[in-house]
Amino acid sequence: MRITTIAALALIIPVAAMAETTIEGNIASKCIINTDTQGVYGNPTPDKLSTATTDGGVLPIIRYDVAIADYYTAKITTPTSFSTSPTLSDTVAWSGSTSVSNTSDASMSGYETNKVTYEATTEFDLTVAGTVWFEVSSTAEYGYSKAFPGGTYRAIVQAECIAN
Amino acid sequence: MRTLALMVGLITAASSVAAHELTPTYPKLMPSYVDGLVSAKMRMFNARQDIDYYEIGVFTKDMVAIPFATTNQIIKVPHGTSYEFEIFIRNRDRPAAVYICTMSKLRSDKAQNAIISSKVCSKFDGELQ
Repeated sequence: MRITTIAALALIIPVAAMAETTIEGNIASKCIINTDTQGVYGNPTPDKLSTATTDGGVLPIIRYDVAIADYYTAKITTPTSFSTSPTLSDTVAWSGSTSVSNTSDASMSGYETNKVTYEATTEFDLTVAGTVWFEVSSTAEYGYSKAFPGGTYRAIVQAECIAN
Repeated sequence: MRTLALMVGLITAASSVAAHELTPTYPKLMPSYVDGLVSAKMRMFNARQDIDYYEIGVFTKDMVAIPFATTNQIIKVPHGTSYEFEIFIRNRDRPAAVYICTMSKLRSDKAQNAIISSKVCSKFDGELQ
């Protein structure tokens, strides 16, 4: 009788404990900008700086994570000036583009076709929850086939995530 | 599929080493203990190893800066830490205040030459969709 009672208690106690254990979760909307790859300008010819891999550069890759769909717009602006450079006596012609390089969800395939570009900025409406990677190309050409002066050159890609 | 994407996003976000986030997405402007001001509390997280400082800004819908007060407009947020702050806006500026943003402050001695600057903006009293 006593053994039976102990056995019964041993079975009941864990069941009671499990019944009172609750786990709660909450997913809040947020946007996270990740700088996966910092870019590097290659210098394939004396008058050109380019992030293209064919020009010896490295494309900057920016990853956006959004927890809930339709809450944010991504805006990426390619450089239109150097933040650091030697003194330049001639004009610099800038060009650049931003494109989707990878996505975590097939339904994000419309991001590339639906993107809006104006001046140096490209906008993507983040309509699907998950992760999207953007790659940014940037090219600077100096004067009319003029060699860039020696020195350090830096330019800034601006990645923004704006709540809708 | 959508749940899987969300999980992938959250897992990768958690393991990220170069992230910048600002929450909540839709902060509420509440009456402040100071007469004539409204305030909102925000939190930012820095996982960018290359960035230590961020600038706080409050903007109109056209991204024109409007005046606000906070303890420090330039904040030091070391890698892997979060920072909570409160901003104060005059009541008369409240209708114009639409966005609150944090922007990374870049160092001039960085090794890379194509640098990424990040800016995350939340929207005051935004409508949940």
